[in-house]
Amino acid sequence: MRRALLSAFAVMAALLGCSERQAPEAAGRVRLVLKYGPLWGAPEPFRELLARFQQANPDVELVAEPMPNASDLAHQLFVTALEGGAADLDVLVVDVIWVAEFARAGWIADLSGAFPPARLRAELLPGAAEAVILGERTFAVPWYVDVGILYWRTDLVPRAPRTYHELRSLARAAMARSPGLAGFLWQGRQYEGLDCNAFEAIWGHGGETLREGRLVVDTPEGRAGVGWLRDLVASGVSPPSVTSAAEEDSRRRFQQGEAVFMRNWPYALGELEAQGSPVRGRVGIAPLPSEGGAPGPGALGGWQLAVSARSPPPRRAAAERLVAHLTSPDAGLVLALDYARNPARRALYEDPRLRAGAPRIAALLPMVERARPRPVSPYYQLVADALQGELSAALTGLRSPEEALRRAQRQADRIAGAAPP
Amino acid sequence: MTSRAAEDARTAWRLVAPAAVLLGGVALYPVAAGFVMGLERVVLVFHEHRFVGLANYRALLADDRFLAALARTAYFSAVAVGAELLLALPLALVLDRAVRGRGLLRAAVLIPWAIPTAVSAKLWAWLLEPGFGLVARLWPGTPVNWLGAPAPALHAAILLDVWKTTPFVALVLLAGLQNISADVYAAAAVDGASRWRTFRAITLPLLRPAILLALLFRSLDAFRVFDAVYVLTAGGPANATETLSVYAYKTLVRAGDFGYGAAISVATFACVALLSGVLLAVLARGAEDAA
Amino acid sequence: MSRARHAVAAGAFLAFFLGPFAWQALTSLWPEAELGRAFPTALTLRSYADVLAARDFGRAILNSVVVAGASTALALAVGAPAAFAVAKLEFRGRRLLLGTALAVAMFPPIATVSPLYVTLRALGLLDRLAGLVLPDATFALPLTLWLLTTTFRAIPDEIYRAAQADGCTPFQAFRLVLLPLAAPGLATAAILVFIFSWNELLFALTFLATPSRRTVPVAIALFSGEHLEPWGEIAAASILATLPLVVLTLAFQRRIVSGLTAGAVKG
Repeated sequence: MRRALLSAFAVMAALLGCSERQAPEAAGRVRLVLKYGPLWGAPEPFRELLARFQQANPDVELVAEPMPNASDLAHQLFVTALEGGAADLDVLVVDVIWVAEFARAGWIADLSGAFPPARLRAELLPGAAEAVILGERTFAVPWYVDVGILYWRTDLVPRAPRTYHELRSLARAAMARSPGLAGFLWQGRQYEGLDCNAFEAIWGHGGETLREGRLVVDTPEGRAGVGWLRDLVASGVSPPSVTSAAEEDSRRRFQQGEAVFMRNWPYALGELEAQGSPVRGRVGIAPLPSEGGAPGPGALGGWQLAVSARSPPPRRAAAERLVAHLTSPDAGLVLALDYARNPARRALYEDPRLRAGAPRIAALLPMVERARPRPVSPYYQLVADALQGELSAALTGLRSPEEALRRAQRQADRIAGAAPP
Repeated sequence: MTSRAAEDARTAWRLVAPAAVLLGGVALYPVAAGFVMGLERVVLVFHEHRFVGLANYRALLADDRFLAALARTAYFSAVAVGAELLLALPLALVLDRAVRGRGLLRAAVLIPWAIPTAVSAKLWAWLLEPGFGLVARLWPGTPVNWLGAPAPALHAAILLDVWKTTPFVALVLLAGLQNISADVYAAAAVDGASRWRTFRAITLPLLRPAILLALLFRSLDAFRVFDAVYVLTAGGPANATETLSVYAYKTLVRAGDFGYGAAISVATFACVALLSGVLLAVLARGAEDAA
Repeated sequence: MSRARHAVAAGAFLAFFLGPFAWQALTSLWPEAELGRAFPTALTLRSYADVLAARDFGRAILNSVVVAGASTALALAVGAPAAFAVAKLEFRGRRLLLGTALAVAMFPPIATVSPLYVTLRALGLLDRLAGLVLPDATFALPLTLWLLTTTFRAIPDEIYRAAQADGCTPFQAFRLVLLPLAAPGLATAAILVFIFSWNELLFALTFLATPSRRTVPVAIALFSGEHLEPWGEIAAASILATLPLVVLTLAFQRRIVSGLTAGAVKG
């Protein structure tokens, strides 16, 4: 036994010592590190995309390192690495709500030279451009976008609702016809998804959430929006489990045919229409409803590409070229056709190749055009956490929506007040 | 000092040196850094990094959220550790008994402890989903909104913790059971003592060091619980399951407020230190009794 | 405990602890598209195939075995002699060591990540498996130290003195006489450290970057797409990840046997 243990130990020591050493930078070659969240699907098209960059740039050695998709985990990784002085990452994916934060912290570089704001505004979706242009400077380039949309069961209701009132009445009618059916599924768990749902409700009631760089939620529209969400739970249109639901919980439930409406990101459509799905062929998508009947703005999601501010000039130039390559129209097409990622370029939605190969994505144009970013502020992360807690308290009935928003506003003001100008 | 004692001391230092180096070199620096940062205001986004003395701690004492998290964590630890000890003791006795298949039983029972925490949290979230989950299906009726209402959510987290770590406690107690020489049981049998009396009068007192060891380390772990709760509910709903570590995590990582987050961590440390002090005092008394 | 009561108790414990796990095993055999249903219509090994082939999970298991094994070896190699010294030898600083170890165990891990990152970067150990072994072993050391101290303390002093009377130096007494007697404690500590290191996620995620060096928890964390959560694959991966631990426990638990000290004093 002892000998077995000793030899096992020796083998482990050898394996530990032999973990691959990084090859020293070959003379003249620049080593570029890309940190990205793995794209769901076959790896070949993306590898080919990267290979094309390598071929066009033989002086660059590209290393692609996937990291977790979970936004919180990725954020923590980056904060630790960037704060810890890491100089070995060059191009990184940045969630749409981090751009202002990372820019203010000085971790991502100003890209206005290679990607002038005016050009971005002309070529990209308005919401996506708004999220990355801060003070007339570009800090990141949108890679792919996401937007909150409404899913509805074409066999249970005659049309997609335009107003909140209509959603409620249509849901109730369907629920009366089939007991046990849930009316409206959405994400009410205490996490960032709740903020998305809440902002959509506030915007749907006509509210603004950013005023002169400050976050404002305690407004009449804010109270109406959160009140609407609370009312959904209290009146039974949404099942009580909504307060602990994340995207997948809503999706699975809807996929089993147990709900009339669902608010979710576009990714769900792929699963809902997949072979073997109980609701295949019976699902429609539409913009979110609003108070007045105009299409409600969905929250903007998605990831952008940024360049680390610590990359020295030779790597910086190569990094900018990589970003340009990955956000080019061709790359956008690959992402859309092979990985079902919604493009950030407006023109792609009308491209015949996209229309033919990914009609579902092309159909999203009215929704992505109206996608609105959550308040673009360097201290959004600081405030978001407090906001989630208060929103969750409102949803579970612990506090009234008015009280919850008042408290959230107080905390937001305190954070904004404490921030140096 | 006699030469033997001096030699003993020298040998002791040599034996202890590697452990001291590891602890001092790898672990003390982060802990010390945490203490130092608790005295500073460090907000990454704003490039703030200045010394503020005890301002963070003053803010903590006035922070409702911190005090609520503290009370919640204390409740969580007390209930979870209590339940675990109550379950682990009979389990350890069952695992001690020399029957066929004992090895398999021991390995099987250790499985909850072995599954990665994130996975087991998701597993329980799945099981507890009202309407969908296995628990709701097996016991239909008024479904408890396990994870979506404040009070049930905290108890769901406790249930997850008990399920996950009772095997660990049982293992520690099992090791303690091995330290009790068989002669002692033989003597008791000769004296004609009943099973229950043997257990109460002999096993339990001799098991005291193991129980207190398990109690000590489980309390430390329960007070600092993070993974299970975070994956299960992310601290929700309405912060009802936010333990001290979850609050520290959100402050440190989501908000990037390193100074305040460090202060919360230090405060957690202080509470745990206090708790350990009490437990250790009891342990010391027990050692004196046994001597 | 009577045989019947023992069987009932064992059965109840098995049901409680293994029930959810059995459900997990069932989920791993469930076709992905039917996961919302009450029961599957068919069972399939598809998830396992996907996990092993497409996800390179075997590599992650190997990495975990290496890291956990090395952490265990290091923690025991360092902790056992120290525990012996604390338990049997007189020297100043005994309580300081135990107290420091306890203090280390009391600090919330999340607060240690950033400083550790800086330390490991300075040592050049970032993105190396060895760089993960160091913090794993160190943070497992407190429990190891305390557990083994209790174990050594429980061995009667007479045995140690008898060995010394026979002419052993303290270290020889430790290695030849006390260590074998402490086998139950050592086996327990080994199991606990191994499992702790195996499931450790925070450090593994932060300190390792290259995909080929991922450990099991990190690999599982990377399964999820941006929104999609492949629950079948996660279940299959967790079953696969638990198997080595079961094997290890089976191997080591044989040492957790009482009666090792019986007869040692008489002879």
